[in-house]
Amino acid sequence: MRLNKILKNTLLVLMACLALSACATKKEVSNVQGQMQGDVYTGTDTVEYLADGVPDRVFFATNESILTTASRETLRAQASWLRKNPSINVVLEGHADERGTREYNLALGERRANAAKDYLMTYGISSDRITVLSYGKERPVDSGSNPLAWSKNRRSVTVKAN
Amino acid sequence: MNRSLIISSALHALLIFITAMSLPFLAKKPLDIPPIVSVELIQIAEKTNIPFAPKAKKIIEKIKEKEKKLVSEQAPPKKVEKTKTKTVISPDQNNKKVENQTPEAIPLPEKTVKKVETKEEKKQNPDKLDEEVKQVSEFEKDDLFDPNELKAKIDKAKIDASKQKLKKNNEITQDQDKSVLTGKLTITEEQALQAQIFTCWSIPLGLPYAPEDMLVRIKLSLKPDGSIDDMEMLDHVKMNTPGKERFRTLADSVRRAVQICNPLRVPASGYERWKNIIFNFDASEMLGG
Amino acid sequence: MLKKIILFFIILIPVNAFALIEVDITRGNLDPLPLAVSPLSIDETSRKSFEKILKKENIGSEISNIVENNLKTSGLFNPLDKKAFLQAPDIANLKPRFEDWNLIKAQALITGKVNYVDDKLRVEFRLWDVLAAKEMMALAFTTVPNNWRRVGHIISDKVYERLTGEKGYFDTRIIYVSEEGPKTQRIKKLAIMDQDGANNKFLTLGNELVLTPRFNPASQMVTYLSYFKNMPRVYLLDIETGTQEVVGDFPGMTFAPRFSPDGKKIIMSFAKDGKSDIYTMDLENRIVEKITNHPSIDTSPSYSPDGKYITFNSDRSGYQQIYVMKNDGSDVKRISFGNGLYGTPVWSPRGDLIAFTKLHKGKFYIGVMRTDGSGERLLTENYYQEAPSWSPNGRVLIFYRETKTNSKGEGFSAKLWSIDLTGYNERQIKTPTDASDPSWSSLLSN
Repeated sequence: MRLNKILKNTLLVLMACLALSACATKKEVSNVQGQMQGDVYTGTDTVEYLADGVPDRVFFATNESILTTASRETLRAQASWLRKNPSINVVLEGHADERGTREYNLALGERRANAAKDYLMTYGISSDRITVLSYGKERPVDSGSNPLAWSKNRRSVTVKAN
Repeated sequence: MNRSLIISSALHALLIFITAMSLPFLAKKPLDIPPIVSVELIQIAEKTNIPFAPKAKKIIEKIKEKEKKLVSEQAPPKKVEKTKTKTVISPDQNNKKVENQTPEAIPLPEKTVKKVETKEEKKQNPDKLDEEVKQVSEFEKDDLFDPNELKAKIDKAKIDASKQKLKKNNEITQDQDKSVLTGKLTITEEQALQAQIFTCWSIPLGLPYAPEDMLVRIKLSLKPDGSIDDMEMLDHVKMNTPGKERFRTLADSVRRAVQICNPLRVPASGYERWKNIIFNFDASEMLGG
Repeated sequence: MLKKIILFFIILIPVNAFALIEVDITRGNLDPLPLAVSPLSIDETSRKSFEKILKKENIGSEISNIVENNLKTSGLFNPLDKKAFLQAPDIANLKPRFEDWNLIKAQALITGKVNYVDDKLRVEFRLWDVLAAKEMMALAFTTVPNNWRRVGHIISDKVYERLTGEKGYFDTRIIYVSEEGPKTQRIKKLAIMDQDGANNKFLTLGNELVLTPRFNPASQMVTYLSYFKNMPRVYLLDIETGTQEVVGDFPGMTFAPRFSPDGKKIIMSFAKDGKSDIYTMDLENRIVEKITNHPSIDTSPSYSPDGKYITFNSDRSGYQQIYVMKNDGSDVKRISFGNGLYGTPVWSPRGDLIAFTKLHKGKFYIGVMRTDGSGERLLTENYYQEAPSWSPNGRVLIFYRETKTNSKGEGFSAKLWSIDLTGYNERQIKTPTDASDPSWSSLLSN
């Protein structure tokens, strides 16, 4: 009787352990798929290229407009490409994810695009060549309602204006 | 390598064993539940105290549920509009827009707002209080067979029956009542009256909270059977003051409450005591911000 | 024992034996008021005339249906089933048999009559107090037949006002953004409709993105954000003529526009160099004033009804919160201190409350707080909802709500909803397309 009970409990604990470890693996998998660092998107699914090796967009953390190391690298590549092509002007389009009020997100998008603009300017690109535009949350690239989709949508995209 | 594996498994097994031993929930010892002690705080005769119990919050919850169900039924379907949509986005209009080089806009096809003449047609007769008291206590005729009417009748019959029962109850408690000499109603009687009025009073929920206009006092003169002989608004001047429409609304609701509750279920004895009675209707608790 | 008896007498003796008994009633039932809306009676010739003009078989019952629907959706009234009515509409309008109406437990009764007079629609209606057996109100309107729906709304407003002590909100319109298409390429148009969803009309064609329309106090003009030529700017639109213009000459994005309570100014945000500040522009002399000056995002401004104060949201504390300041930008005070983010503050027409959107732990709430930030009450919680707008009497809020999409981006919809200040009586307002950014007009009549 007593032994039986202990056996039962042992089984239960084992099952609990298994369940927990299952959780852990799953998380790992989703992280690999997610291509996110913190909540900044690091994948390349939606990225287009202005020229060979010059990605067109940078990504941001929730509610943030701080450029990550990767973003700065991207922008430096854009800056040198712009220096090589002095006739090209660009529009920086700032975007936010859907998890915020519309008007605040419009302002946030502008702030993000502006962060990118400031960085390009420190690398010698004249502000005359750059226009800033915010779409807030109006033009997502990924229409999903999940952290990964949101991370792809928090972005500043450099678009050729001419 | 092997050794550490063995140690690891041993430790794991130990851990599992310890956890299993310490798991409490499979030990089937009957719990010692103390017997439920029922405590009655106020001694109440088996009277209409039940409707008094629900708290406002609960009622709101109930209404909320009811309203949720209503949501889907609300608002008529709009099929007409869809066709309108199509006419609006006609291609030629699109072209026009491009030529003009101004942001698009469609002026409304018709003059939308027309003045509507409004006039007060007739002033109502201000004093008709005497008539109001005349209440329909019985049904007068029933030449038509109407299921609704029948149902209403059955309901009424039920109410009458319960009223009878209540009266009996009243009489029993009256015997125990020691406070006949005083001018105060006993707590049970007061609560019984409160409970009656509570069910009759539909508080005007749209009324904004204004501390000074939340109390309506009404004085009733009752007949021995509990029916209303006369009623008097104690603030009737305020009722007709311009700018006090909110107070009037509240006072109206109070008058209706009293009329719906007419005749009141009153104690079987001590008529002199409750012949004249004042009700203080205070909506501040229900409407208070 | 002796002590007890003495105590007993002490309690009893001071009571005045001849005092009038007073009973305090502090509770009532919260059931909606039962009332009967008797169909408006109509004579045969009038009926036929209107049938020809309006293509409605019986305009009398159509109008009373509008009244009935309005009163029902307010959540304060319970219109009774017409099948239980015992008295014919025409006789009821002359002299109701109150016993009959009392029998079906109606506390108020609405009767009326429709006539065709000189190509016009003449409607008279009466509101009766069934229990007191007397008339509470009698009014008559004459208007062009096409205005029949408005007559229904005006009657509803009058009844609402008489029975609740507060002005109604039925003869009003709602301007909103109609939405169609996939989330990534949403087509948005300005649209306007009656408060009950009828008479829907589109004001723009959908070629460019439009957002956040707001009525002026006279409900004739609308200010909104348009991405015309890919330049987000605040525009002004005259609803009747369709003419429109850019508001102000700003070197960048202007957004989040609203009118001042006197309708003479537009208040909005202007974003430049990563910061957004609040500006006003006088519509008469075109003078632009800068109201806030802070490196943060200041947006979603809203005037108090007396025009003396402005509430707005700002992230100057690090996160989006609600602030109140004087109309010249001085005396800025933060008023929201709860957990989470606060946005889109809107001052109530009564002046005592501010409605807002709150984001906390992945949920969106619509709530209200007093103008000093105290007494926060959350009215509704959902996956995504925002941008409340007040009914002109300050009792109902309209807002929009979006549903979650799955991983493929399916299942998305945006709808308009309304909710009472009490937090119940939540209803969806049907629109022909998806809808967002609703703004409630003021009362069109009186």
